[in-house]
Amino acid sequence: MPAADHRSVGELLAESDELARETLLDATPDHALAMVRTWKQLVESAAELWAVLPSAPDSPSGLYSMERLRAVGQAIGRSVTTGHWPGQGPTDERLTQIADNLSRARHLIERHGQPSQRATPETHSDTPHAHGEMMHTLYVAAHGTAVALGAHVADMQHRLEVGTRRRQLMNERPTALEITAAQDMIARFDGFEQLAGAYLFGLPATSANPGQVREAAPATRLETALAAWEVQAHRTLANNPDPADLVRVARVQALITSTTSVLTEAAARKGHIDGDVLQRLMPALEANQVAWSRAAKRWGELTNPASRTDIALVAAASEVRAAIAGAATNPTGWATAEQLASRLDLPDAVKTLYLNMVASVDITYVVRDTAADHPGLTAPARIIGMRAQGEAEIAIEQGETRYEGVTWTTPREVAANRLIPLPEPARRGLINLADDVIATTNQAVAAAAQLDPSDSVQRTKPRAEPAAGRPRAIHESFSRFEPPGGPRR
Amino acid sequence: MSRQRMDADTVETLAGVVRLLRRAAEPVWAAVDADVAGSPRQVLGLGIDLAADEARNLLPDAISVDGPVPVGDEPAGLLRSAEQLLRRVTTPGAGTGLDGLRTQVADLVWEANTGAGG
Repeated sequence: MPAADHRSVGELLAESDELARETLLDATPDHALAMVRTWKQLVESAAELWAVLPSAPDSPSGLYSMERLRAVGQAIGRSVTTGHWPGQGPTDERLTQIADNLSRARHLIERHGQPSQRATPETHSDTPHAHGEMMHTLYVAAHGTAVALGAHVADMQHRLEVGTRRRQLMNERPTALEITAAQDMIARFDGFEQLAGAYLFGLPATSANPGQVREAAPATRLETALAAWEVQAHRTLANNPDPADLVRVARVQALITSTTSVLTEAAARKGHIDGDVLQRLMPALEANQVAWSRAAKRWGELTNPASRTDIALVAAASEVRAAIAGAATNPTGWATAEQLASRLDLPDAVKTLYLNMVASVDITYVVRDTAADHPGLTAPARIIGMRAQGEAEIAIEQGETRYEGVTWTTPREVAANRLIPLPEPARRGLINLADDVIATTNQAVAAAAQLDPSDSVQRTKPRAEPAAGRPRAIHESFSRFEPPGGPRR
Repeated sequence: MSRQRMDADTVETLAGVVRLLRRAAEPVWAAVDADVAGSPRQVLGLGIDLAADEARNLLPDAISVDGPVPVGDEPAGLLRSAEQLLRRVTTPGAGTGLDGLRTQVADLVWEANTGAGG
């Protein structure tokens, strides 16, 4: 019979943070896959504890921070369970232990009341900064996972290179597809880490950590609308979405990207953004907006008169549209730089939009998963027959032989314009467009790195580009989180 | 509005509104695609799409919105037609959904008549 666990909530949180830092010290290729598989469990435990903690932060970013992260964690979990890389397999002991600690902390609070009431020895602990401490744990664990993934990518690249040189059998060496999948996962964990960092480094500064945290962003309608949108987009896409939902997601993301361009340009004109950054960022944003718009148009081909958009998604999209219209437009189009500067704190607004771009990285992967896996995708025969034929011809030109001589619709289906299951080439076309969105989003995020709302994150640790696939250096500056109010001991 | 209490005329009228709104969005998105990236018309296009979604969601699943495609390719005119149709719906006890949709479409008519959307 195991010994009774007498750890307090504070001790459980402290141990979790220690374990998260250990993942950084031991971020080897061997751990990467298991860490990815355990991620959803860890984030779920954190979200459940977050929900029972007292005094949830009341800033928009505070309210939605954990919901955003939970949505990303669930999306990563769904990717794994539906068979995408790395697929099913062993889980990670440290991350599982952290998840167990957080679950135990939640049970203690539920059983004995809020920790601030100090009702029992178990809950008697210094936990007024539990939100920050938990977020720090997730932040460090996400970084540790990304570092391990980087090491795994480097290892696979090396084995592929050696294997090719030695003419090893294909099944004895990694594939380029595996490497790409691992690099994609690094990008998702980078996004997660930056979202956690944005919360963490937005905590009010205190005498204990004056240089570590910055003033929280003002609660703006735009910030709230964007955070709520990201969470809702994840929820809708996770729940058997209609193609109309995908159209709406893509259109809203395209509009947000355009708004980011407009505000970034205005901020540059007002001297808040360096000209070099602007030159790198604008083409990337433009390409991203075009990619989202193309995706919207293509998903639109799958809709039919009976298509229905998720009511909650419509509400969230309406609020984003209203917030953007109110902040960034005038009766004749986009507002001028002067108008924008008079309505908004431009640097803050740009950072808010940049954070959305970071969060949208994961949405792009979910859109691709939907294109690849959604079993119920159908489309009107006339348009999708033509689309499938067009995509098939492109594939045939590239050497694909399976599509030669295949017809994708019957004359009867075309005559009645029946809804038919999505032919494979048409699905392939959707995946290719999603890949464009992913690539352009990652490029825009990289180009905007110097606008990162968690600037201090950038300063305190090195970051590797996902595509580089090199293990990141472990940096000593991942010091123990000192919650506002001073060290705990 | 309660879907159960909707009479046949209201259903047909709302289905017509859905068709008008969907048709009104098409030329706006075509103009967005023709513009350079970052067109401000996206705001209007998305607004019309969302109004069409709201109208569709007022109707029960079983109701088909199939019907003749509205004639015309001028967004403001199509939106005005939708607005006029919505005024004809006089179902007693009509809820906030319909009221909200009326306001939404009236706003869109105004937006389409200004430079950004037209």
